[in-house]
Amino acid sequence: MQEKWLLAGLSVALLISTCSALYEDQIRKFDWRGVNVGALKQSRVDLNHFQPRILVSTNEGVVASLCVKTGELVWRQVLEQKPRGDIKLLQVSGFSDDSSDTAAAPMGSNLGFDMLTVQGHAPALVRGWNTNMGALEWEWSIMPMNIERAQDAMWIYSKSVLYHVLPAWRSHLEVTAYFASSGHSTGSTSKVIAPWITPESCTLSGTFYVCTEGKQLISLDLVSKSGQVIRTSLETEPNEKTQALTGLNGVVIVDGKPISVNKEQSICGGLQSSSYAVGSFNYRKILAFADLSSGILKINALYLDNCAPAAELEQSLPFPKHFGTPSLNNFDCKQKRNGEGKNCLFLFSTTSESIVAVQQGRVRWSREEALANVIDSQFVDLPLADTEGTLENEMKGKAGDIASAFLRRITTQAVQIRSLFLHVIGLGPPPTATQRAGLVRDSFGLHKMLVLLTRSGKIFGIDNVSGKHHWQLYLSNVSGFANNEQMRLIVQRSAKHFPLQPLCTILGKNAVNGNGVLYRFNPITGQVAEGGLVQLDYKIKQLSLLEETEKDFVKGILLIDASNKVHVYPEHATPLADGMYLYTADVKSAELSGYFIKYAGGQLSSTHIWNARLGGHNSEQQIIGVAGKNPIEHVHSQGRVLGDRSVLYKYINPNLVAFVTQAPDSTHKSVLNLYLVDVVSGSVVFTMTHRKVRAPLSIVHSENWLAYSYFNEKLRRTEITTIELYEGKTQANSSVWSSLQAPPMPLVERQSYILPTIVEALRETITERGITNKHVLIGTASGSIVEMPWHMLDPRRPIASTTQGREEGAIPYIPELPLPTESHINYNQTVARLRNIYTAPSGLESTCLVVATGLDLFVTRVAPSKTFDLLKEDFDYILISIVLVALTSGSLIVKHLASRKLLKQAWK
Amino acid sequence: MYSKAKFVLIFLLGVVASSWGFLEHDSWITVELQHSLVANSESFSFRGNVTIPSLNSGLANVEQPALSTVDLDLLKKLALGNEFYRLKATVVYSNGAKAQFITSNKACRLLQAQLNDVLWVSLDPSGYVTGITVSQDTAPATAECTQEDVKKLVETQFSTDVLIRHAELAPVPDTAGFIQKVEREREARERGEVRDNRGFFAKYWMYIVPVVLLVFISGATNQDGAK
Repeated sequence: MQEKWLLAGLSVALLISTCSALYEDQIRKFDWRGVNVGALKQSRVDLNHFQPRILVSTNEGVVASLCVKTGELVWRQVLEQKPRGDIKLLQVSGFSDDSSDTAAAPMGSNLGFDMLTVQGHAPALVRGWNTNMGALEWEWSIMPMNIERAQDAMWIYSKSVLYHVLPAWRSHLEVTAYFASSGHSTGSTSKVIAPWITPESCTLSGTFYVCTEGKQLISLDLVSKSGQVIRTSLETEPNEKTQALTGLNGVVIVDGKPISVNKEQSICGGLQSSSYAVGSFNYRKILAFADLSSGILKINALYLDNCAPAAELEQSLPFPKHFGTPSLNNFDCKQKRNGEGKNCLFLFSTTSESIVAVQQGRVRWSREEALANVIDSQFVDLPLADTEGTLENEMKGKAGDIASAFLRRITTQAVQIRSLFLHVIGLGPPPTATQRAGLVRDSFGLHKMLVLLTRSGKIFGIDNVSGKHHWQLYLSNVSGFANNEQMRLIVQRSAKHFPLQPLCTILGKNAVNGNGVLYRFNPITGQVAEGGLVQLDYKIKQLSLLEETEKDFVKGILLIDASNKVHVYPEHATPLADGMYLYTADVKSAELSGYFIKYAGGQLSSTHIWNARLGGHNSEQQIIGVAGKNPIEHVHSQGRVLGDRSVLYKYINPNLVAFVTQAPDSTHKSVLNLYLVDVVSGSVVFTMTHRKVRAPLSIVHSENWLAYSYFNEKLRRTEITTIELYEGKTQANSSVWSSLQAPPMPLVERQSYILPTIVEALRETITERGITNKHVLIGTASGSIVEMPWHMLDPRRPIASTTQGREEGAIPYIPELPLPTESHINYNQTVARLRNIYTAPSGLESTCLVVATGLDLFVTRVAPSKTFDLLKEDFDYILISIVLVALTSGSLIVKHLASRKLLKQAWK
Repeated sequence: MYSKAKFVLIFLLGVVASSWGFLEHDSWITVELQHSLVANSESFSFRGNVTIPSLNSGLANVEQPALSTVDLDLLKKLALGNEFYRLKATVVYSNGAKAQFITSNKACRLLQAQLNDVLWVSLDPSGYVTGITVSQDTAPATAECTQEDVKKLVETQFSTDVLIRHAELAPVPDTAGFIQKVEREREARERGEVRDNRGFFAKYWMYIVPVVLLVFISGATNQDGAK
């Protein structure tokens, strides 16, 4: 027994020494997290609370409280995923809103809630929140009879009663009232006959249900007993959908004009604006409106009772272009007699999904909520410092004869001495903007510019070490492609080619006509480069990158349009497209097509050279995942050494792409097929099928292996299958890979494991030369990122512990993969709604840069094989120098003493 | 004991299932081959017919008439221009459904291989063709054909091997095998088969020595640090 304990203790001691987690003092040293809430939906600015706050609900299903002074989060609650977490109503109780029927009764009147939200439709959840802490206080729910119809349901709150309005289009409305805090029904459901209602024409403004029909508004007061139909005529037929004006009961905005359908609510006439909000100032109700014209944001306000302008609130300010078009969401003022309007805070939501707070004629703070939807990311090297740049230039210069090289060396050194002298006497050239911002490459290449492309079309340049936003750009009217394909961010020229600046390109679709759009910019400064926005006159079907040109080192973009014509951008890179292969995949019919691009006589042409049909008999299979390899990947080791010292060569085919299809099946419920296709020759190299298995699917493909996770319906758990491909004991061609002469049948090793978590994203680590081990980063639904070494996922893990397996260094097979807490690389920095993980190599072979995106953003670095090429942070430099100095001086002294002794002996 | 037998049975079934590489409902297909001997042209001419009477057995009957001299010249011209030899395959299933596939390879390689080629037919799990690929077995001597290479061609008849790639069944986490292994180890321990009567140090010296060494080394460095 004693022996056992001792052994256990020893093994624990061994394990602790090999633990790879962070130390406590390393927290936040090279990682940071950005916390977002998403695009603003409803907000309530409340400056007169004992604790001034801004309560918001967002399109991402988040309720949060923001600090009035800085815009920082006080608390945040991330609700369930859509559609369950879709927020339909945010109702705040508070004494500042003394007005309409829709507002809550004052605090302390025992209504039982501070803030109330209604979310989802089946079931609809009503929740009461404590706004100081963000704690959930109570909750009730209703399950609708007809789930499909319930999607269109709306909710209104009036006098502590919550009304559930369920439209049956072109027929009637069903209105049910509940006590807001208890969920008890106040009576039966009332049916209001309204055959004119359609989803396009109707809005709910307070308790009034307003529809447009031709040149008139037809409205119903849903709360009143009479149920009278009110008709209001308009001057012209409205062009846009009417919008409700929150804060006023029965007022709608028709083409920028507020119109009241409520007899008890008058509204000032002759107004025209893009956005309105209601608040109070000097104890009087105010209608504020804001418009953007030629870069200047103008805010105006009127007293609602007499329509006199409230001059104290009027202000205009230059509005930065990268925010897009603002829309006034809410505002509030500190209540004081004869206040000057300085204490008013206006909250704007913008088309670039920012939240902007304006006070006293300037932007007080802003939140970049576009970052809640990052769709692509790139790490871009920073430019070299000037001196290093000239050195680099010299090294790169074409080696001519000795004389010219010598001359060049002398001139550069003369220039360096001059600049040093000028720098010393203080006459040197001023540092450039990027140098001032500290954007200079470090010796290990760990400091990079993180360029993030977001769904709204806003692009960010973020420092990956400090998390500072260096620049922002906004592309309006640009959207993602068809088939749910997002916009692309491409690095056309890296920072290697000093003095040429790096160049990035965004490829998207024009939101209006669907044609392709290119936008080129400098990723370090965020400035437009080489023409900026280019509107193409064709639709983009597929794209690919070409080799670097010799002239300006730009990687051309090869585009194939809807009619299979081929284009290259920029045009001078066209000859490089000769001999390229491209493939397209139709997601719906699961058909693949391969094309060969030829350049002859100044013309590009494409030939259809292969096709494959993964759709099955009736195209019932649909592609749910496509995974190619990272084009910048290097494979260092060509083979794997087996137990008997022979080598098993890896099947490293850079053109191999994995396709996963899914279809319902009569006998096996749902079937998932994996196809490995060589996209140059069109050969379907390997096919594997899973039964009773379905999406969500995450897939990662690298070197000679593939790992993908899915949900097993039969056993209700997440599983991960891994595949390794080998050529065999001999290699067909060790120097060049040709898909047209590839070994036809690779050996396929495969294994499945149970993963005790729900996987949201998978990504492999990547390093500069590929010497470091590969780890797989697993992003889980709970927001943690787990680093899983490949030797745990290895399909060659032996079931029976044989000597051969042990010799090979493989761990014996255990069906369930462990997820130890030490391998969670984001420790307690949970990434809410984790969606994707991106990796990039750093200048150090051991280190890989990681960014995880979702609602939050987490940036860190990982070292899969430990930092073998870096001294430890707590390395004792003083000790080593003392030891060195002592040793050197000791040896000198001893040498001296020895020579004296020798001399003495010689004299004897 | 009964449970053990059950485990063995499950294990055996698992082994059989994981090597599954044939279809539950065997069927036949015919493939009509047409080829294009002019670069970038959409006209295809008849090359031959392939009948596969049983997809599971994989045996195929190939009928291909000899190439005419006109076609041979066209093929040679294609090879000299390093163009693609494109093949169109129309698959007819037993239920009458049709599917069309295109595959290509360099014409030069076909000449170098003396018109010997391999037709790979990839099947999906329910026996429908996902892709047809034509390739050559032999490694080529040169990447591009010269006039001399072209002259070496003596065959006028295609000789085609038809090979079928079946879909395979994916592995499932082998919990049964693992439990069985653990069970076996436990039983072995209980029976005391592997009782080792050596002394403590004799058994575990290989663990103790490195630890002691480690302790010494770390102790030494700590002392240095303390100074």
